[in-house]
Amino acid sequence: MKAARFVAQALLYVPLMVILGYFSTQPRFTDIAHGQALVRLSFSHAGARKVECRQRTPEELAKLPPNMRAAMDCPRERSPVKVEIEMDGRVIFAADVPPAGFTKDGASTIYRRLPVAAGKHRFVARLRDRPEGEFNYVHEESLDLAPGRAVVIDFNAAQGGFLFKG
Amino acid sequence: MLTLIHRSGRWLFHRAEGVFNFAFGDRLNPLYYLGPISYFLFWIVVASGLYLYVFFSTGVNQAYDSVEYLTVQQWYLGGVMRSLHRYASDGMVFFMLLHLGRHFFFDQYRSFRWFSWITGIVLLWLVYAAGINGYMLPWDRLAQFVVVATAEWFDWLPIFNGTLIRNFIFQESVNDRLFSLLSFIHIGIPLGTLFLLWVHTQRVPQARTNPPWPIAVTLLAALVVLSLVKPAVSLERADLSAAVTTIPFDWFYLTVYPLIYEWSPGAVWALTGGLTALLVLLPWLPPKRRLGPQEGFHIMVHPDNRIIPVREGESVLDAALKEGIPMPFECRNGGCGVCKGTVLSGRVDPGLYQSNVLTEEERQAGKALFCVCTPLSDIEIEYEPKEAPGGIPVKTYTARVERMRKLSPDVMQVFLKPGGGEKIRFYPGQYINIILPDGEKRAFSFATAPHLADLIELHVRLIPGGRFTTHVFNEMKEGDPVRFEGPLGAFFLREDSRKPIIFVAGATGFAPVKAMVEHAFHTGLKRQMLLYWGVRSLKDLYLADLPHQWEREHANFKFVPVLSEARPEDHWQGRTGLVHEAIIEDFPDLAEHQIYACGSVAMVEAAHPAFVSHGLSADDCFSDAFKLAPQIQARATEMVKLGGRL
Repeated sequence: MKAARFVAQALLYVPLMVILGYFSTQPRFTDIAHGQALVRLSFSHAGARKVECRQRTPEELAKLPPNMRAAMDCPRERSPVKVEIEMDGRVIFAADVPPAGFTKDGASTIYRRLPVAAGKHRFVARLRDRPEGEFNYVHEESLDLAPGRAVVIDFNAAQGGFLFKG
Repeated sequence: MLTLIHRSGRWLFHRAEGVFNFAFGDRLNPLYYLGPISYFLFWIVVASGLYLYVFFSTGVNQAYDSVEYLTVQQWYLGGVMRSLHRYASDGMVFFMLLHLGRHFFFDQYRSFRWFSWITGIVLLWLVYAAGINGYMLPWDRLAQFVVVATAEWFDWLPIFNGTLIRNFIFQESVNDRLFSLLSFIHIGIPLGTLFLLWVHTQRVPQARTNPPWPIAVTLLAALVVLSLVKPAVSLERADLSAAVTTIPFDWFYLTVYPLIYEWSPGAVWALTGGLTALLVLLPWLPPKRRLGPQEGFHIMVHPDNRIIPVREGESVLDAALKEGIPMPFECRNGGCGVCKGTVLSGRVDPGLYQSNVLTEEERQAGKALFCVCTPLSDIEIEYEPKEAPGGIPVKTYTARVERMRKLSPDVMQVFLKPGGGEKIRFYPGQYINIILPDGEKRAFSFATAPHLADLIELHVRLIPGGRFTTHVFNEMKEGDPVRFEGPLGAFFLREDSRKPIIFVAGATGFAPVKAMVEHAFHTGLKRQMLLYWGVRSLKDLYLADLPHQWEREHANFKFVPVLSEARPEDHWQGRTGLVHEAIIEDFPDLAEHQIYACGSVAMVEAAHPAFVSHGLSADDCFSDAFKLAPQIQARATEMVKLGGRL
């Protein structure tokens, strides 16, 4: 009876350890499937002011308290940033990224994962940070993406616009 | 629907527990110790984690290298510790979920249990947070996935809105400070977990926080074997310029992470938030169980002869332990039968238990397992004491009446000498049950301090018509044999406080006070002690010279006799009125005092609320008399009186 109990105990401990051992690593998880690469679009960029600054008239200035008589009137709200990513002639992502903040005066920030098939691709990235008009930043780049490779499409106006890294 | 889920889960647990009982025996069944096992695994995680932390370097390159050193070069200890850290953490989640599931299926999360339920849910999330955070530290490909996925998940929240991932977008974005921060979090969260674990178990009377040592040893050994057979290892070094493709995955901690990409981060927030809200609200969701009055019922407990409150849905055992009654127990799940006792009157729900520990015949005879049995009315029960507080065993003794002295017309001082010169260990304030020839029991407090227990001193008050007390006054003589059991009771002097003590004695309630005061003098207790002894008239102060003598000999003792019905011939110049009113007059604020009240139920019932309303903490009020439940038909209601027990 005692031996049977020990055997039964072992039989109950083994499955517990099997459960702990197995599910701590298995089944394996596939984030980016075999034969795919990952394009990550990420930037934080403040769009232009939605309404241009203008000179206040003398009458307008007179109506303001003396300590608030700034010559220029600059509404804080910024324009959304319009962005478009094209791959091999097909738009794979497009968005109007709104500015952050309650008064919409912050930077427009976006992050997107774009899994794509590995191989040679021609990318065109376009961005418009003004209220209207054509895209004012356009960048084209051909990439040979190996399976499992990750590329970041960043944007920095001070460095000339789009940056493809990775 | 919920009832059906409860039933199905109970059935499943019950069957599994039966199988485990066969293998482990009912006292070492791991399924009865799911909470304590989670606690034990937490300590393994902490101990192994401390070891790993000694070698862990908080640098972007050094983090991976130091973990690799532990895993590869120091595989015999560092590697085993790392694996133990991993598997004990996984096991903790596993056992916590089982623990939560068992309480859910057995409907043990409503009413007063809501607090433990909700702290348990918070604990679960804290453990998840600590575990997920831990996977970031080795800075391998799995760490990369966890860091990036967590940032992407949190970036869905408007407060972050895509800014968090900017910290992990390029390889150069990550620096040494990240690992200092992650280490800080990995120590901080477990510290918070430990504190909450303490809070979580405070509400459970005499909660076990460690499993029996055979379970602990076997479990630890099994985890070590698993660590050697399948050691936890790192993947390749993290590389943010490469995507994470297919990786080994810890499904205990990272269960919802694939859904971030299968669904969306927002959907995972909805899932986790919704699940948490559901779990938090569960104690108040239908179907509600209302079996009796909201304030619960009362239990008359023998052999302690105490009346205690029990909350709705609370087991008899929990109610008893909460009141300091040393009721025996082991598994607390209806599996071992240690808490088996008798329901003398009233209705109970016997609960779910293993049929081999309580037969149908026993149940018909009124037996019940108090750990799973809940009252459906006021009830009267009897249990078999195994040991009193402090591990002093309760035994049956035979003694002889050594001598007797009449202290007043209705109080007899009786000295008993245990057979064989045996010296009985007890706490001052405890009592014994005199066993009458037909098995009936009568309770009397020890009136001597434990160090003077060669002879047991009792103060027996004559109760008109009382069977035993009449016998003592009319027939008992020196040399008569007396059988008794003891020591019993949880009313004894607490020596772990520095607050001044106020003893409130009513009539022969002086007996346990005498034992406590003599013990305090013997041990050199320096706390201020005041004795208020309330009696009707001067003749009832049957040993008044003694406390006066104590007052003269000990600067920290003061005696205040109070007469409620002083007669003209008493020529009483001292305090009059009710004893508790005299105390409140002298001490309008009782917040910084401890009170030991021994007397009639009427006296204690009047005094307790008055003391509490004057600031006395419930933790500083000790008495053996509790609120009387008039529905209980005790065989001898006077038995609840202290000192002057029938």
